[in-house]
Amino acid sequence: MFVVELLEKLSILSAAAKYDVSCSSSGSTRKNIRGGLGNAAQSGICHSWSDDGRCISLLKILLTNYCVYDCAYCVNRVSNDIPRASFTPEEVVDLTINFYRRNYIEGLFLSSAIWKNPNHTMELLVRAVRKLRVEYRFNGYIHLKAIPGADWKLIAEAGTLVDRMSVNIELPSSEGLKLLAPQKRKENILKPMSLLGSQILENREERKRFRKAPSFVPAGQSTQLIVGATSDSDLRIIKLSENLYRSFNMKRVYYSAYVPVSSNPKLPSISTPPLDREHRLYQADWLLRFYGFEAQELLSDSHPNFQLELDPKSDWALRHLNLFPVEVNKADYHLLLRVPGIGVKSAQKIVAARRFHSLDYEDLHKIGVVLRRARYFITCRGKYYGEVPFREDVIKQRLVPKQKQEPSWTQLSLFSEQSIPVEDRQTTITGEL
Amino acid sequence: MIYYLYDGTFEGLLTAIYEAYYRREKPAFIMRAEEYEANLFSRPVIIITDSEKSDKVYRSIEDKISRQALRHVYYAYLSDIKGVATLIYRYLQLGWQVGAELDSQLFREPVREMLAIYQRVSKERHRMLGLLRFCKLTGEIYFATCEPDHNIVGLVAPHFARRLADQNWVIYDQKRGLAAVYNQREWFITNLNLSGQLLYEENEKIYQQLWKQYFAGTAIQDRLNPKLQRQFMPVRYWQHLDEKN
Ligand code: SF4
Repeated sequence: MFVVELLEKLSILSAAAKYDVSCSSSGSTRKNIRGGLGNAAQSGICHSWSDDGRCISLLKILLTNYCVYDCAYCVNRVSNDIPRASFTPEEVVDLTINFYRRNYIEGLFLSSAIWKNPNHTMELLVRAVRKLRVEYRFNGYIHLKAIPGADWKLIAEAGTLVDRMSVNIELPSSEGLKLLAPQKRKENILKPMSLLGSQILENREERKRFRKAPSFVPAGQSTQLIVGATSDSDLRIIKLSENLYRSFNMKRVYYSAYVPVSSNPKLPSISTPPLDREHRLYQADWLLRFYGFEAQELLSDSHPNFQLELDPKSDWALRHLNLFPVEVNKADYHLLLRVPGIGVKSAQKIVAARRFHSLDYEDLHKIGVVLRRARYFITCRGKYYGEVPFREDVIKQRLVPKQKQEPSWTQLSLFSEQSIPVEDRQTTITGEL
Repeated sequence: MIYYLYDGTFEGLLTAIYEAYYRREKPAFIMRAEEYEANLFSRPVIIITDSEKSDKVYRSIEDKISRQALRHVYYAYLSDIKGVATLIYRYLQLGWQVGAELDSQLFREPVREMLAIYQRVSKERHRMLGLLRFCKLTGEIYFATCEPDHNIVGLVAPHFARRLADQNWVIYDQKRGLAAVYNQREWFITNLNLSGQLLYEENEKIYQQLWKQYFAGTAIQDRLNPKLQRQFMPVRYWQHLDEKN
């Protein structure tokens, strides 16, 4: 009886949590304590890969899917007729500990629908993580969702216990929120985000001075937004992300393609999630964080959405052909990073290798730089290897995957169902170019 | 052609490299004695492991080349890849010529090959940190079985000694018949050949079942991508993954 019930709860409450994309367990250096269990791994560890190819790192569950809110895009909305369940904090603890001891997981990602009210929900969440940390001396990774509208005192207590926290921004604009999640307030989302941001920063400073100072959300805060449930443009989305990174000291913004869950007329009628668009946003996000790009450079009011057929960096480069081709033996590191197809690793390799002798095209191959896209934008010892005239239209034709020579109107359809080639797909979660 | 044959230990390998440096007769190949197959053109030389000589080589790699190079040599040794001892020899010959710069000279073949092997071993080590599955046996022992491509049990043990510090555990390499054993204080490597069934603790099956179900449930059905899954988690590891067998 007990097992059957637990299996059923786990099935309901993990199914409800799986659309939360983050499964990252990185960024924390929490150490084990004497007589304790677990530690965090700075770069994160994947423990399995599910049938959709995503990494499984954390036990990702909801405490409950009973919800008093009615957000149109969400399966758990109160008006939806689905099986409901709740874990007790004790059950969450038992599952986490026993999965961890068997090395199934790196830790826990605990989230929840709104049960009764935000404070009641937050209290239960905090009780579970407190039990893990204090009673069970558990030092594995914990990612906890902060419930918008809960008392800051509760959220702050949670912050002293967990590695990462997230408040989901849900939709890219406040109009979208009003339309689709009328019970949620923008302020209730932004306020804890901003408090978390400043507290994290303060704590980081403090820990530089006193190494023993207790930690506060050491792996930083993240957030998630749904793409394609509203009419917001890509430009609007990446500008929002840029702001979140800058002002709230955000570690990661996750994008989740809207999965059609209802026929509510306020929602777009699509049959499959806009995965290609989500993918382009991850790539653009990567450009913002690691490649020194600004949202304004990538998109503009006259060009507000990414092309689905071309990655954002190639798109940008084609619109700035005057900056290319760059000479690999001379271009500085930051310029190399702007070459389509050259990522952080390749740029570093080039800079390291050219200290010994000047590189020709073969050398680039040898040190492992992938030239499929890069060849059109570089010269090696002054020679161009693109083998086509250096013109936007010609190069573009080479960059767009063959099977996708579609009429130009496909660009306009945000919800195109074509899929990105497998090679590209692998970067879906990281977005690395 | 001269073959140096060593006993399979790391000290033995380093001794062989010492001899290769000082003896007049340079080897064309260095390999484990058990790998050697006699033929008309080969002349085997048995190397006797000598800890003084191997220490000298060890320190010389560290001082004259780099700590990093030493790490590469050790990982390559653990790779169990055929012909790797000869490659290590060539890599070190080059290393003693160019010194600390060795690993940045990617245009040299032995360096490239060594780094590639190092990466393969590190990759498997890292994978194994996630993919090992412990099951709880009667008598409070957590037991993990694996069959890694490379000899990495000793490379993953320190991680689990820190992480699963308050439980007894065994990491068993079924392919090589050895195991890392931890008793809540320290870990060590020992030979182990198991036959017969493991005796599970009474709740073990329940947690395995919960995990299997959790695993199956996390996949988003619209996004199934078995190819990608296999790329991250090659099928040869599935046998020891509760969720996949
Ligand atoms: S509050 Fe959260 S769980 Fe509840 S309906 Fe809205 S999005 Fe879904």
